[in-house]
Amino acid sequence: MRSASKAPDGTTGTSGTTFDRVLLGGKVLLLLAGLALVLAFPGLAPDAFILSVGVTIASYAALAVGWNFVGGFTGYISLGHAAYSGLGGYATALLIIDGGLNPWLALGVGALGVAVVAVPIGVASLRVRGASFVIVSIAMVLILLLVSQSWADVTGGSSGLRVPRPFSDDVLRPEQHERFFYLHVALVAVALLVWWAIDRSRFGIGLKAIREDEDKAQSLGVPTFKYKLVVFVISAFFTALAGGMYALWFGYLDPIFQFSILIGSYMVLMSLLGGIRSLFGPVVGAVIVGYSLEYFKNQYGDSQFHLVALGLMLGLVVLFMPDGVLPAIGQLVNRFRPTATSIREESAADLLARTTKTEPRQAEEVSR
Amino acid sequence: MSTRSLETEGLTKSFGGVHAVNGASVAFQDGKINALIGPNGSGKTTFFNCVTGMIRADSGRVSYRGDDVTGAAPHRIAAAGIGRSFQLCRVFPRMTVLDNMLVGVRPQGLLHRLRGGHNAGDIARARQLLGRVGIDHLERSEARDISYGQQKLLELAGVLMTDPETIMLDEPAGGVNPALIGRLGTLVRELNAEGRTFIIVEHNMEMVMSLSHHVVVFDRGAPIAEGDPATVQNDPRVLEAYLGV
Ligand SMILES: Nc1ncnc2c1ncn2[C@@H]1O[C@H](COP(=O)(O)OP(=O)(O)OP(=O)(O)O)[C@@H](O)[C@H]1O
Ligand SMILES: [Mg+2]
Repeated sequence: MRSASKAPDGTTGTSGTTFDRVLLGGKVLLLLAGLALVLAFPGLAPDAFILSVGVTIASYAALAVGWNFVGGFTGYISLGHAAYSGLGGYATALLIIDGGLNPWLALGVGALGVAVVAVPIGVASLRVRGASFVIVSIAMVLILLLVSQSWADVTGGSSGLRVPRPFSDDVLRPEQHERFFYLHVALVAVALLVWWAIDRSRFGIGLKAIREDEDKAQSLGVPTFKYKLVVFVISAFFTALAGGMYALWFGYLDPIFQFSILIGSYMVLMSLLGGIRSLFGPVVGAVIVGYSLEYFKNQYGDSQFHLVALGLMLGLVVLFMPDGVLPAIGQLVNRFRPTATSIREESAADLLARTTKTEPRQAEEVSR
Repeated sequence: MSTRSLETEGLTKSFGGVHAVNGASVAFQDGKINALIGPNGSGKTTFFNCVTGMIRADSGRVSYRGDDVTGAAPHRIAAAGIGRSFQLCRVFPRMTVLDNMLVGVRPQGLLHRLRGGHNAGDIARARQLLGRVGIDHLERSEARDISYGQQKLLELAGVLMTDPETIMLDEPAGGVNPALIGRLGTLVRELNAEGRTFIIVEHNMEMVMSLSHHVVVFDRGAPIAEGDPATVQNDPRVLEAYLGV
């Protein structure tokens, strides 16, 4: 009794059953349709406001995908990733204003600088796990908030900083939005490509093992600290790029908003909601959360209602879709698999093994 | 006796007032099946953890094949050729059985790490080892979905994937049905015949006595007797440790 996807020669073909092939085809179609929709969006958007909402959502997606390099691969939940988007924004702005750099060069150099800064931060914070790591990540962003507020000569302090626009003033507002929409989408695409490449590499398998059981991974020879640090720096780099891109689009930086725990929480929420273990999870999460945020803000004005709604949403997701939206859909689809793989196939010996060991297993699981 | 294997000298680890490992000096035999036995709480697991770098010993030295590895990080111990399993069987629950295996592929430099994880060479080796422990038909299941006995077999196969010269098993027969224990014993013998050294912590005396060449008995964090199974079995100190006080 072996699963139908297993070929007679003992190799499990990756193509598998007809169902698998149909599923793959469906995924590719869905992906292409999504891509077409995204690319057509600026043309379909009825007005500049809707277009700007699109840019905001794309910006959220870039932030969430950047966050998910650490969160998705290692399971380390950083609530303070606004530190890197904020630094990316300020670095880009200051390199243009004080360094006289070309805006796009400033964006790249700024993000590289943030990546370098992330090395010592990673070395310090990745030594602790779980709740301690979360707290360290929050501390980081609070420190940056204080510094940016009090170092007014450079950052503009509480009154904020105006970022020079990369496109000349001849370019009208909707056109600006459209260009930045595509720029953000391109950034998301590059980040996703890198995430995908890591996901399928040996490096990625080691990272996922860290997420599942860090000590066990290390005992199997995975240099866990090095792996975490590398992916942390990659994450800081892409988050900084997203922050810098946003700064170039929005044209104004305010420390309170840049270095806020709220922005970091958005990144976490979006990724968790979409599914941190899926490539497109953070993007799907960003679209849902970003859209809802804008909708609630629009409906209920500047009240805090959108935060309540968001909290409620997170609660529902954690309760009913703990792995996120995409994995939940995946499970749903799997139910229609013709040879129901949910029924585990086992020999009589395995069955015996399970019935005789039930007790010790439960005892051990409690103590685990 | 051939080359030197794992040796400790005055290894000590306390948790608060509990001297879990208390000045343990032990030498295991290279190329043999060594057993480490002792009553519950005698410090066997803590000893394993100190040796493999999972926890830092308070004092004492650890050497492997003559090289000092005291305080080395777990992945360095693994790279030195020591693989281990855990008392509470540990696998990567939300990864497939096959991916569980691929974690143990020894990294050799940057380019090697960036290569696709699912390349033919690694997969062939993983499948061969899964076949050897008899769970190759489960390779696409997530580890959390397979039975406890199968998880134990997966853990062992995963350790073998690192191609260790020395294999430390913490209670391999714990919570496993008799038929599987027999299979485990056979597997250990075969792997030993290939030249791999074993250090096995086990409470199943039948398995220990039939399998091992050399037995070390722990009590209160230090060895109190060692020798071949027959000698140890009849040692009055051992009987006292297990039955007395
Ligand atoms: N992390 C810890 N914190 C505090 N005490 C500990 C810790 N780990 C072990 N101990 C104590 O150290 C002693 C040795 O424990 P250890 O787990 O090494 O024993 P063992 O020989 O493996 O026992 P068993 O056969 O039951 O597995 C015990 O008294 C235990 O309570
Ligand atoms: Mg133990």
